[in-house]
Amino acid sequence: MGRGYIVEDVVEKYLSNLSVPGASCVTGLLIGQSSSQRDFVVLAVRTPQKDTEGQGSPSVSRGAGNSLEYLDVEWVTEHARQVSRMLPGGMSVIGVFLVTPPELSKEAQNTLRRLIFAVDKHISKGRLWSLTEEDVTEKVTLHICSKTRKVVCRTYDVRDPKSSAKPADWKYQSGVCTSWPLLTCSVGLNLVFPVLEMHVLPQDMEKCMKEGLQTWAKQIEDGLCLINGDAMPGEVELLGGQKKNAKAVQQTFRAQILIPMAEPQSERRLTATVKVCSGSLTLKGMVQCRAYLHSNKPRAKHATEVIKRDVINTVSSRVEMFLEDLLMEGEDKGSVGVQQVLPRRVFAPVPGMSLCVCDYMFPDECVSDVSDRLKEMLDWETPEDSIDTSQEAVPEAPTIDLKNTVVQKNLKAKSTLDARPKTPSEDPTEAHKSHKTYYAGVAMAAAIALLATGTSLIYLSD
Amino acid sequence: MVVGNIILRLRGSLEFKCQLDSTDVPHVQKVISRTFEALGSQVKAESLVLSLSSSPVFLWPNKGGHATAGEISPNRPCKDLQQLIQTDDQESSRKKSAKKDKKNPTAGIINLTLMTEVTEPGVLSAPTLLRGSKKHHLLQTTLPMDCVVSVLSSESISVVCGTLVGALCSQLGDMEKVALRHMKGTALLIPQPFHFLLPAPVGLVTVVYPAGVPDSQLETRRKELHSLFELPDDRPYLRRANALHFPDEPYKDGYLRNPHVHLNLPALENGKPYLVQGVYSYHHYMQDRVDDNGWGCAYRSLQTICSWFQQQGYVERAVPSHKEIQQALVEVGDKQGSFLGSRQWIGSIEVAAVLDQLLGVTSKIMFVSQGSELASKGRELANHFLSEGTPIMIGGGVLAHTILGVAWSETTGQIRYLILDPHYTGAEDLQVITDKGWCGWKGPEFWDQNAYYNLCLPQRPKTI
Repeated sequence: MGRGYIVEDVVEKYLSNLSVPGASCVTGLLIGQSSSQRDFVVLAVRTPQKDTEGQGSPSVSRGAGNSLEYLDVEWVTEHARQVSRMLPGGMSVIGVFLVTPPELSKEAQNTLRRLIFAVDKHISKGRLWSLTEEDVTEKVTLHICSKTRKVVCRTYDVRDPKSSAKPADWKYQSGVCTSWPLLTCSVGLNLVFPVLEMHVLPQDMEKCMKEGLQTWAKQIEDGLCLINGDAMPGEVELLGGQKKNAKAVQQTFRAQILIPMAEPQSERRLTATVKVCSGSLTLKGMVQCRAYLHSNKPRAKHATEVIKRDVINTVSSRVEMFLEDLLMEGEDKGSVGVQQVLPRRVFAPVPGMSLCVCDYMFPDECVSDVSDRLKEMLDWETPEDSIDTSQEAVPEAPTIDLKNTVVQKNLKAKSTLDARPKTPSEDPTEAHKSHKTYYAGVAMAAAIALLATGTSLIYLSD
Repeated sequence: MVVGNIILRLRGSLEFKCQLDSTDVPHVQKVISRTFEALGSQVKAESLVLSLSSSPVFLWPNKGGHATAGEISPNRPCKDLQQLIQTDDQESSRKKSAKKDKKNPTAGIINLTLMTEVTEPGVLSAPTLLRGSKKHHLLQTTLPMDCVVSVLSSESISVVCGTLVGALCSQLGDMEKVALRHMKGTALLIPQPFHFLLPAPVGLVTVVYPAGVPDSQLETRRKELHSLFELPDDRPYLRRANALHFPDEPYKDGYLRNPHVHLNLPALENGKPYLVQGVYSYHHYMQDRVDDNGWGCAYRSLQTICSWFQQQGYVERAVPSHKEIQQALVEVGDKQGSFLGSRQWIGSIEVAAVLDQLLGVTSKIMFVSQGSELASKGRELANHFLSEGTPIMIGGGVLAHTILGVAWSETTGQIRYLILDPHYTGAEDLQVITDKGWCGWKGPEFWDQNAYYNLCLPQRPKTI
């Protein structure tokens, strides 16, 4: 028996409205949730254009004809990874779609198989939590014939490289996610990671942070989760007590996470451990977390799982982004001893649905940057005033190492000059972005200028 | 223990982490103190949560004792917490043990664990990353917090929470003192709390000792405490081995402790019991995979006595094996080399010799030419249990036993002996051992009326 996918009507509309010029192919992602009984798809997003020049799909290079061999799998997987970062807990990339002309329909199945395994592998990289036995590892592939609009839906178990395609049902419905319960919480961080003396910053920064975050992620994963102040046993149905056919309304649940204050020592140590360190990394602040559950009899244990995963993901995502950004700029000597603001989380509504997605704003960015990214990654227009930037507050002026008083003076001078935010339209050279990241900091030029004076990347955002 | 009081025990680990920029002593001391201060603030933070063991209840002591379970509000008496604890299915014996556990004042304690709520943030803005580049030594460990408070069972939960937080803070203070006192360079000895049940009116106290420093080196500290608590200065009360053993913590070595407490005292007209003081382990045939059935009874009685000296804190060495006992006798010249590995019996004299050689304990030997004479030794035995309180090894006829006490009437002369029998070959089953009389009260007819007996009465060393 195959899996059954319940798909939002909007997805049907989106897929049928996809402009597929001539004999080209279009790839894209399918976003939703999988539970043991049913699977839900709420969004479909095409892979964005790679070049700005010319038409045609980004997944086929020019002059290579229509063969699917030249499909840029890496591009598709990178898009999937970026999109995954924008999804709150519970939601994930659960499949891929491929639109081809009728003559490529046969080859399409192979391509889809390649794509889905590559996508899953890429988005699982750097994940700090582990899959459990109950996690569904079947992902869906959807083939659409550009001429007949016929849809072929198959699933693969991405855990098994030898798995074969299994047929699956693809059914459209309205209001799939209107009553998806929402879990929220805000988590405080106060983590200090030592930088052992054999490590050198900033090259080993990623390694040190990763090790430290791994330990923290395990604590969160093993922690206890209260839902609306209650320590429910895992099997309790979250939506229990709701009358059948009652008006579908989205409930919000508050999550609280409790962990032991410290892990007891495993060895029978008599003295404190002593490590010689060349420095330290301190991660402090609050992150806002959100996760969605499906409405098909979700249980407390699923709820605690999705919110915990979102907590871990949001911290590891923004640290990753920060480090990627740092890598792009090269070494920044001036940032030692200065608190650097990590990208903060903002939320945007999904058009026509009661769900939201998120994005991360660097300190030197503004709402229009977020809006542009949403257009590029998720292919929809978002009015700027619907983007919620209030969930995570901007930190106050950085605490600078008091020894570096020269820096303090410079910062004061700089902040008055650069108070106004920059927009991408002012900087046409930003169109060509690196393949690795779409978050090429706006006002990169300004940022480099700032670095030159040895001050931090922080703007006061008004 | 005070009647109408409840004991709450709070345990958990606190992370101790500090950066030492230099290793000179004043700097190190300053940093250590500052770190303890920071831990004190953590303990007083609103994010501190106490988890009530074996229950779904969580308390926020720094938010007025607010709790998760709806039925528990902060102004309810703390004894209500006991009802929420889900005990195992030993309910049938609960009533029985509740009676017997009147003797053990720490029965029915409420256990709590330290936790923190990460979703209760102190800092409210988006995360920042601070990169420090100073070379330093990072000192890291976890502090094993273990606080015990005794409060009126009618006291409100919010007040009790305050008391617990106060106990944590004061334990941190004690730990800081111990850490600083015993610190050498960057080696920080982990401070460990121990609980002691001292004689009335003192009651329950907690003392912090540094890990790795043996009791023998902590005598000065103990002298201070003995005078502070007005304890006699000739017997140990505050060695680590004297630490209170909580009823809900099983002994890991598998031996039964004090099986005699589960027996009913014999009813003698004007009779009084005089029993062994403190804790011993029951050693008997076939234990430790040694098949000594038929020859090892005196060895087992000796082991029981050694276990007493270890658990009262007089010695730190483990209970000796048959081999070690035989080795000791060869070393003192009492036996030839051929004795080793043999199944030869030993008697009270040998027991006394081994106690002296291995434990530095002297013994008095009592001799009776006929078993019937034992009936008249009531006063002497009673005095022994009053002043020394150590188990007695008695050998005679072809058997050896351990005497754990006497019940003796001064007026009628009636006497009963509390006997621990080393000839038992079964498992550590308390029910069997007490029901079948392997530990039981016996009358004077228990002894072979015509045989002669030697008794070894070990004497307590005069030390703290």
